[in-house]
Amino acid sequence: MVSFDRFLGLCLAAVMPAAPGPALAAGPDFAREVRPILAARCFRCHGPDEAGREAGLRLDEAEAATALLGSGSRAIVPGDPGTSAVVARIEATDPDLVMPPPHTKVALSATEKRILRDWIAAGAGYRPHWAFVAPQRPPLPVARFGSDHPLDRFVHARLAAEGLVPAAAADPATLCRRVHLDLVGVPPTPADVEAFVAASAGPGAGEAYEALVDRLLASPRYGERWARRWLDLARYADTNGYEKDRERSIWPWRDWVIRALDADMPFDRFTVRQLAGDMLPDATADDVIATGFHRNTMINEEGGIDPLEFRWLALVDRVATTGVTWLGLSTGCAQCHTHKFDPLTHTDYYRLFALLDNADEPEWAIPAADDDARRADLRRRIEALWEALPQRWPAPPAESPAGEGAGVEGAFAAWNAAESAAAVAWHIVQPATLESTTPHLTLRADGSILAGGDVAKSDVYTLALPPSDRAVRAIRLEVLPDDSLPAGGPGLAWYEGPKGDFFLSEIEFAAGGARRAVASATASFSGKAAFSGAEGAVTAAVDGEMSSGWTTNGRQGEAHAAVFVLAEPVPPGTPLTVTLRFERHYACALGCFRLAVTDRADARARGHDAATEAILAIPVADRDEAARALLFRRFLAGAAEVAEPVAEIRRLEAEVRAGPTTLVLRERPAAWRRTTRRHHRGEYLQPREPVDPGVPPFLPPLPAGRPADRLALAEWLVAPGHPLVARVAVNRQWQAFFGRGIVATLDDFGLQGAPPSHPDLLDWLAVAFVEDLGWSLKRLHRLIVTSATYRQDSAVSAALAARDPDNVLLARGPRVRLEAEVIRDSLLAAAGLLSDKRFGPGVRPPQPDGVTEVAYGNPKWTASTGEDRHRRSIYTFHKRTAPFAFTTTFDGPTGEACLARRDVSTSPLQALTLLNDPMVMEIARALGALAAAAGPTDEARLDLLCKRLVSRPAAAEERELLLARLAEWRRRIASGAIDAAAIAGAGDAAAERAAWTLVARALCNLDETVVKR
Amino acid sequence: MTGDTRGALARRHVLGAIPLGLGRVALAGLLAGGFPTRAARAAPDGPGTTPLFPPRPPHFPGRARAVIQLFMAGAPSQLDLFDHKPLLASLEGKPLPPDVIGGQRYAFIRPDAAVLGPRFRFARHGQCGAELADVLPHLATVADRLAIVKSCRTDQFNHAPAQIFMNCGFAQPGRPSLGSWVTYALGSESADLPAFVVMSTGSGISGGAACWSSGFLPGAHTGTRFRNSGPPILDVAPPAGTDAAVAAETLALVSALDRRRLALDGDPAIATRIAAYEMAHRLQTSAPELMDLASESAETLALYGCDPAQPGFARACLVARRLVERGVRFVTIYHEGWDGHSDVAGNVRGNCAKTDRASAALITDLARRGLLDETLVVWGGEFGRTPMVEASAVLGRSQGRDHHPNAFTMWLAGGGIRGGVTHGETDDFGFHVVRDEVHVHDLQATILHCLGLDHERLTFRHQGRDFRLTDVHGRVVSGILA
Repeated sequence: MVSFDRFLGLCLAAVMPAAPGPALAAGPDFAREVRPILAARCFRCHGPDEAGREAGLRLDEAEAATALLGSGSRAIVPGDPGTSAVVARIEATDPDLVMPPPHTKVALSATEKRILRDWIAAGAGYRPHWAFVAPQRPPLPVARFGSDHPLDRFVHARLAAEGLVPAAAADPATLCRRVHLDLVGVPPTPADVEAFVAASAGPGAGEAYEALVDRLLASPRYGERWARRWLDLARYADTNGYEKDRERSIWPWRDWVIRALDADMPFDRFTVRQLAGDMLPDATADDVIATGFHRNTMINEEGGIDPLEFRWLALVDRVATTGVTWLGLSTGCAQCHTHKFDPLTHTDYYRLFALLDNADEPEWAIPAADDDARRADLRRRIEALWEALPQRWPAPPAESPAGEGAGVEGAFAAWNAAESAAAVAWHIVQPATLESTTPHLTLRADGSILAGGDVAKSDVYTLALPPSDRAVRAIRLEVLPDDSLPAGGPGLAWYEGPKGDFFLSEIEFAAGGARRAVASATASFSGKAAFSGAEGAVTAAVDGEMSSGWTTNGRQGEAHAAVFVLAEPVPPGTPLTVTLRFERHYACALGCFRLAVTDRADARARGHDAATEAILAIPVADRDEAARALLFRRFLAGAAEVAEPVAEIRRLEAEVRAGPTTLVLRERPAAWRRTTRRHHRGEYLQPREPVDPGVPPFLPPLPAGRPADRLALAEWLVAPGHPLVARVAVNRQWQAFFGRGIVATLDDFGLQGAPPSHPDLLDWLAVAFVEDLGWSLKRLHRLIVTSATYRQDSAVSAALAARDPDNVLLARGPRVRLEAEVIRDSLLAAAGLLSDKRFGPGVRPPQPDGVTEVAYGNPKWTASTGEDRHRRSIYTFHKRTAPFAFTTTFDGPTGEACLARRDVSTSPLQALTLLNDPMVMEIARALGALAAAAGPTDEARLDLLCKRLVSRPAAAEERELLLARLAEWRRRIASGAIDAAAIAGAGDAAAERAAWTLVARALCNLDETVVKR
Repeated sequence: MTGDTRGALARRHVLGAIPLGLGRVALAGLLAGGFPTRAARAAPDGPGTTPLFPPRPPHFPGRARAVIQLFMAGAPSQLDLFDHKPLLASLEGKPLPPDVIGGQRYAFIRPDAAVLGPRFRFARHGQCGAELADVLPHLATVADRLAIVKSCRTDQFNHAPAQIFMNCGFAQPGRPSLGSWVTYALGSESADLPAFVVMSTGSGISGGAACWSSGFLPGAHTGTRFRNSGPPILDVAPPAGTDAAVAAETLALVSALDRRRLALDGDPAIATRIAAYEMAHRLQTSAPELMDLASESAETLALYGCDPAQPGFARACLVARRLVERGVRFVTIYHEGWDGHSDVAGNVRGNCAKTDRASAALITDLARRGLLDETLVVWGGEFGRTPMVEASAVLGRSQGRDHHPNAFTMWLAGGGIRGGVTHGETDDFGFHVVRDEVHVHDLQATILHCLGLDHERLTFRHQGRDFRLTDVHGRVVSGILA
């Protein structure tokens, strides 16, 4: 842990001169007034970026700014604007002298010039940027306006200083609705409101609210509501993005987030697990699933892309997302050059990059703990089927004499004799050296070679076999499945092409410095090449043509073998080099394989696995019972007579393997550490010198005495004394409730960011979040919603609209349009349609035709059926290139980049959606049916709708307007001018249902329905 | 901070919680002209005809006020349309000299693939003598109106990143598109239609919605996509069983109830929503009118080759003209299908059959209506195609061309553009630009320039940085300006 004092010392060393300047007279505030000017107008050329620096002058550090320049002058002479070159230059009228130079199109206003002059006159005092100094718990201001809630004390102190008073408390029904929308993302039921209003009138009013808050925090809908905001940051989507934008399975991570928030996992653990859960000692499956956070980056599967380039771009995204999500810093600038404003150098950026750069990115089959019974049962059934297989052998025809050659035993004996005669004894060889252009290769004890890590569109493996004591005439290449490979292997293809595929373009053999010709090539199976269906025959791997080759596509997850017979034997003692070339428009190298040799010229790929073949090569008399049993099964598995039950066995075996997968990070083995390099101008194709992993020096150091890796980064973020992480986290929560952060720029706490409106409140919250609340988001949310500030009436008086239009000072309650998901979920809930079903793959609620047609390949959107139409919006399938229209229309994210704060727009398209969208009409119909069935009066029916949609009965004048309209619509329905059945569906009371459907539709469109107030 | 950004922030401050863009616009309209002041309270006074985004002045007087972007997605073969390289015919079947190829990466082919000669005959057209392949007979008739840029270059060689790059100046999704920047800067002259319209006539767009995204600009600047079947705008058609009267009555009812809420709660954002509903109501009338091509003469329909019942490139071009006539600022038509990895000749022939007549007709029609001077038309794809052949047994491809980012051709016409110009030149292989290179950022700077916008001043503050369409690059191609 870095003590505050030591850390402050580091900050000061970095940002301040060693000795303080002259005593400061009262002048413009450096942080609030001066630095923003310097940052915006001067730092581009006179800031931290050495490469962009002009005249060797930097104005972001006191020491440099006051140093003697080459010209003999000093840019800043503290206390003496008259001799400060800066003042002379900014006030110059000569276009050749004035700063900033006219060609930059940046100009200083008269006020800005005055501030700089006054600041220099007052001593030119520099202060470290507030956000880079760890927060200290400020004292609580005195309680005012009747509240001693700590948050109110800060807000009220500011209000008092501004001569303002807080608004009265919101009425109980409004508050009940507000806190429901905020905490669980759906409005209260009419009964909820009634109960709360009644309780609020009684003596236990205060307790009633706290009880409500506690109930909501414990609701399973809490996690679903708050996970969505985290998903925005994580750029969650159910497709890969870019052109192909194919479906991916990462919903287990989304479910992990919901569960973690429901369980109130402290934010520090929440952080560490998502960034480095795989690296924790004794990592659980959940810990590994959590690393999906950074697997939400996009995957380009377009034909012909360079996979390494897009892996690198995903890393760029991860650095940016980490910066915004935890540090509240935009690191993007430093990808290309040293940051112009914040003290983040180009190299610092790539050091941060290096911390995240050492992971492989598998699609991980989740080991289902709760699934073991199912699998054990399947295995039992499979074994029973095997056991029973001989009995399924067709009985010999009744008239034929039973005897030798008939029945299963006879058939097996014949098979055994034939196969044994043809069997070849293979010698598995362990290559002396393994070379690879991209993937890392590991030789295992059984002689198999496992590949992992990165892949390229063209990869070459070169394997040097040790000299053999006998001649080599044929080489067997086994291609093997492995759980670590995509779809179980045997190939490494994981994007664009079929998962687990490989494509052996050429295999070459060389001995004694010469290429050895291949006389024949056979394979146990040859698949169809993906995309063209061309024959992927094994002979194509020895035809000298790179665009053709061998594949076992279609049989992923199975072992197969190819046998290459050389034209001439390689004499004993001669080392043999085997070169495997893989090349297609997607990466397609082998993931697991093994080599064996024999001196037999008649060797062929016979379709047996290596173990079977090895037994067959043993004289029959020498085989033990286990070997015989294995052969018998092997025989049965290939016999046409029992093909049907064998197919059933295969199906069950596939079921054993089936289960959800999710995208995770897996730290690479130490031997295969990636080298991270600085990239000139931030371009993938311009790598420069290697950099070591590390964090920027203006922040606390990484923990000493341990590797600087992803886990260190994660733990560093949540270590005590970090100046940014807790502030950034609490600020985001604050924004969720009030519509505006204490720092308005949620994603930028750097020098260009907005200064905090209530700095002490922010620091108090940040310290309390860690020290008092133990990083608990639920406790933080409870603290916020129990404040009087949160509970204020939100009405905007004319005076307040003029004085504080953004409600920065919080003299009233929050008033914000609901997020897309909350609008949809609220409407569904009001209509009684919202499903309680939780978790699982994304669902496709109905949406108008043509939303997805614009995406590549004109994909169809087939609406889900049953309750999946009405699931909570967090479960809506998110296609990046054509997102769900309702969500997009209401400013939902595309999932293509980290998003800290959504735009809140108001548009005619939103109006069209709420008026005409079939889903909203479905909701209105459900509401219309409820109203029509209710009673006894129209007033009561109307109140039912209003209570469900806006949590209150209709006011008198509203009732008058609505019932008048209802009466008119009823008349027109009765006259046939409006088609009731078309609106509400045929059936009982169609006319009444239609009339109320139209009323409900109008109510769905009220400002109040889509706004938290 | 530039003046532009400062202005935007100041306005945001004035209106408080109301989002940029529509919010302030709608309010301004409701206040019957005159920009609202801090003291102003919203006092809605009935339906207005305020544009969705009222026009804002450009940085300097621009020649164009609207843009029609004909995006030839998939990347047309410049070597078979515009950039005539006779040498390739004589080199056919042989590899290019390795020093020409350098380290260029390709999607499908190996760099040593053999040369494929031009597939069509070329001839000179118009007074300017522009050289065009004979698959462009209609474009040839307007050759003197075109500025043909043969020296375009991009950084990207895969479709999705390249399309996003061409639209957004950055190859990863997340930044605002050209159309969004333009409507953000200039607003709209239409009160009844979206400011930025996107149409697509093919098999789907590789770059997806990122190509017309508003990125970090206010969401209302996202391109509004017109569907090919049914009413063009999503949810613009009233629900079954309801009619225009119900729509009007519902609007009146919702407005009345919202006004009551506005009077009680005082939030100006409610006034914005009321205005948005009024605009939505107008869209329900204007959209069908826009798509009703019955008022177009048979001669005009024939000029475009447009069957009003058939969605397709010709109809999209005609609709684009109608949109521009009605004050829409930016229209993009995606025509997908130019990705000629195999049989590039057949690919070019087929796509020209679908687009040549209508592209030329659009120019002719705009010109005769006096709209061409103020409408910038931009034609082109996301990159070019290789001088080398693409052939692959395993993919069943032959006589195709792969993606080529180093050199390709686009043309511009209309507002701000000098017609009859051929700009830039490639080497004898059509591989590299050898004169007057026009990078994607230069094209973007030039398009903005034609609209009176300085690409260096059109900025938006996001995550602590002032972003531009052209990043830190771009220079206006003065050689093609009128």
